[in-house]
Amino acid sequence: MRGGEVIYRHAEPVMGTVVSIEVRPHGAPMTLTRSAVAAACATLHRADDVFSLYRPDTPLARLRRGEIALEDCPPEVTEVIGLCERARTASDGWFDPWSLPDGFDPTGLVKGWAAREAARGLQAAGLGAGMVNAAGDIATFGTPAEWDAWRIGIRSPESPERLACVIELEGAIATSGCYERGPHIWDVRAEAPARAGVASASVCGPDLALADALATGLVAAGDGGLETVRAAGYEALLVLENGQTVTTPGFPALAAV
Amino acid sequence: MKRAPIVLTSTAFGVVALVGYHAAGPHASALAGASTGSLKVSGSTSQTGTGSAGARSASATSTPAAPPTTAAPAGASATRSAVGSDMQYPFGDLAVKVTVRGSRLVDVTVVRHNVTDPQSAMIDQYAMPLLRTQALSAQSARINGVSGASYTSAAYQQSLQSALDKLKA
Repeated sequence: MRGGEVIYRHAEPVMGTVVSIEVRPHGAPMTLTRSAVAAACATLHRADDVFSLYRPDTPLARLRRGEIALEDCPPEVTEVIGLCERARTASDGWFDPWSLPDGFDPTGLVKGWAAREAARGLQAAGLGAGMVNAAGDIATFGTPAEWDAWRIGIRSPESPERLACVIELEGAIATSGCYERGPHIWDVRAEAPARAGVASASVCGPDLALADALATGLVAAGDGGLETVRAAGYEALLVLENGQTVTTPGFPALAAV
Repeated sequence: MKRAPIVLTSTAFGVVALVGYHAAGPHASALAGASTGSLKVSGSTSQTGTGSAGARSASATSTPAAPPTTAAPAGASATRSAVGSDMQYPFGDLAVKVTVRGSRLVDVTVVRHNVTDPQSAMIDQYAMPLLRTQALSAQSARINGVSGASYTSAAYQQSLQSALDKLKA
């Protein structure tokens, strides 16, 4: 029954944005679907409560000020720090939350990690397929009935209403760029705001936390970082400020880029 | 009175698809200048975890709790409208009103829009008409979602979706 399957959608304001969740229950009862989505939302709020730097009282904010030690923090903090170390290695140092001007800041990875955890919870609950879209960082599992994979458009840096391309996604995709929030990505090697001529960087692969970190690093690294992304088992698309696009060979673009 | 369900292209196409993204569009240049400006967000303008009235869920099969705000007599060409939830985004909040004739989306207007930052207000003056055009013209978009940060349009999409949910019955 292509295109006719039950879809359950939810929009949750959290983490300073709106996270949208789409679930294909594939026969799971609606009560289970609702409770699984509620649990996914709780996961997102929990991540915000632990890692937000916009609120002074979160464990991460207090850890950064030296008010508490790592062992006083919830276990997620240790987990995220471990992921940051993996991401720093995988990105060949282009993603380095320890080398930022205002001190350790893992938020380049936290939104992706939180969405990934939410998606994993939905899958573990027994739902057939689903997608968690945290303001453009997307974690998926399963496949929608209408296609063989999730079809995701990548926003053009020039305009929110245009697409740079459409991809067939398995797993996750994260996009970083300066077009929406101004120049906010720090080049840890140059010790200056990123100036590699990158308008946006999209990275797809199995783990949204790592994809998020690699995309952040790629904005600073530019096309010289594509080989690093590929070596980590991920694929990438760069839209340069001059309008050109560059991809790794396996980037799953459907439409011409 | 049983109303015909509003089917927008297919139950399988999502809220993002509904608002619509094209691989190319005639209006790109108008927004390009606005959206590539230095749109800075400081900590004070970002609203972390502030739940608006907007968090609504929707199911393709569920019956929504809220009735439409207006209802014309039933029939294939009945015109109905509903106001969506007020959605927050890091630069403010907005709510949209949708008008549907039969099963077709015929108009989208922004009925509430508060912006916390003057520069965002300027950008939104460009963005809102464009979002409306896209919502109306893209009922056949063929994607599940969009990757890339776009706070305003996310809030717009969610309010639009909640308005449409009110009309599904």
